[in-house]
Amino acid sequence: MRSLFLSRLTAIWLLLALVTIGSWVVGHGPGLVDHRLAGVVALVIAMVKVRFVILDFMEIRHAPLWLRLAGEVWCAGLAIGLTTLFLIG
Amino acid sequence: MSGAVRPDTTRAGFAGHVPGEAGIWLFIAGDMVLFSVLFAVFLTHRAEAPDLFGAGRAALDPRLGLVNTLLMLTSSWFVATGVAAARRRRPRIPAACFAAALACGAGFAGVKYLEYSAKFTAGLTPMTDDFFMFYFVYTGIHMIHVVIGMGVLYGLIAYLRGRDIAVVNLQHLETGASFWHLVDLLWIVLFALLYLVA
Amino acid sequence: MEQRTVDGAVAKAFVYSGVALVASLLVSQGWLMGFIPPPSPALSPEALAAIFIERKMGIRLGTLIQCICYTFWLTWGMSITFYMRRMERGVPVLTYASIANIGGGYVFFLLMPITWAALAFRPEQIDPAMLQVLNDLVWFIFILSWPPFALFMIFIALAIFRDHNVPTVFPRWVAFFNLWCAVLIVPAGLIEFFKTGPFAYDGLISFWFIYIVFFGWILVMSAVTLRAIATDRKMNAVPSRAAPHLTGQASPT
Repeated sequence: MRSLFLSRLTAIWLLLALVTIGSWVVGHGPGLVDHRLAGVVALVIAMVKVRFVILDFMEIRHAPLWLRLAGEVWCAGLAIGLTTLFLIG
Repeated sequence: MSGAVRPDTTRAGFAGHVPGEAGIWLFIAGDMVLFSVLFAVFLTHRAEAPDLFGAGRAALDPRLGLVNTLLMLTSSWFVATGVAAARRRRPRIPAACFAAALACGAGFAGVKYLEYSAKFTAGLTPMTDDFFMFYFVYTGIHMIHVVIGMGVLYGLIAYLRGRDIAVVNLQHLETGASFWHLVDLLWIVLFALLYLVA
Repeated sequence: MEQRTVDGAVAKAFVYSGVALVASLLVSQGWLMGFIPPPSPALSPEALAAIFIERKMGIRLGTLIQCICYTFWLTWGMSITFYMRRMERGVPVLTYASIANIGGGYVFFLLMPITWAALAFRPEQIDPAMLQVLNDLVWFIFILSWPPFALFMIFIALAIFRDHNVPTVFPRWVAFFNLWCAVLIVPAGLIEFFKTGPFAYDGLISFWFIYIVFFGWILVMSAVTLRAIATDRKMNAVPSRAAPHLTGQASPT
């Protein structure tokens, strides 16, 4: 039981929860003064979280190369695309 | 291929293993395409009216968004842990984990209900402006996914009931779990776009 | 056990009728009528009436083609249902439901060109406000009628999931593809609420995305059904009795 819950999954869950609260503070609390920087930080943090969910919760980290590549490319593409759209706006 | 007999592993998955049925990845990829388009459309419209989107974002309750994100993450963790437990043939724990995830999903729906009703009371509807159109439509489409996902989780619990873990087809569990993680990750991006960035 | 062989030649013709449906959409609605994308729902009644007056010959020709080719929804839908019948055991509930569904579905398809044809019949004499309402109605008939079509996709997915043949008649990914399409056309319901933007009936999501998904779905399902027909022919070419999977028994291989 202990080994089941004291796992890598739990560590990742804790990390993601802390990062979520952190990015919330950046967006709403005292955080960053520069809105554009704050926006980019929030987007990049979101995509890093998404990557963890894909790799570890969806278990793509050890999947065959095609599946892992598809996941990574989607994450990177969306991160670049959303940040670009945000910045030119 | 049968997922019933697998080496015991504490790690998430192992080399060369496609989690769940291959077909679910087609569904997940397709949904990611749809949401990528939705995200891009949102940012394009935001670029045309940054002030309106800024004001819209300010009218949202960020605490509810935060609570919902934590609920989604936690439910995803429960689901992943449930699959790991099933892989180690732990009786009862998988079903309990999925039930806990289901409860998180219900909590998410409850928070959304509070949020929607507060907006309607304040006179904010999808017709108010572009920001609230996107807010209601996107969170609504996501909510449909949450409801389908809760049905899937319930299906997994029913599937585990009365079956020994040794004969449970782990592939079915992975297929359902992958869908729930999709619901989680789409919300992570929506949360950033609607509550933090706009 | 009774054999459930499908006449390959008829089935093939039925499949290609669906491909003709998609082609006719591009020719008629796109080229002849110029309604891809649709005129904006935010357009004034007079501007819309002017479009109908100017394009009335194109609209008449286009709707005539549509009346013929949209009927193929029936034949195309049945080409899939033949194979659903083979997937099911006992009382073929999903097959029956699909037949009823398809029979209703082509009514929606035909109502579109018929209404447009009526509008292009004497557009100069119609009150523009009324013309606008009836033109809205055409798009509503087409896009708001998504639920029965989504239901057909779910029926197909269920039939594949419960298929008892080995190997299955359709590959299992087809089931997930159908579920995905069923989820994707849900935003169609939003056209009721918006006159501009991505969810209006000329918008990026409610028009482009849903049209591409729906008609793309027809093409993908056509390809899948053609493959099932080809597999049948190979099986029937084997001299030893009927192919085992045709009679519903597990294949020895």
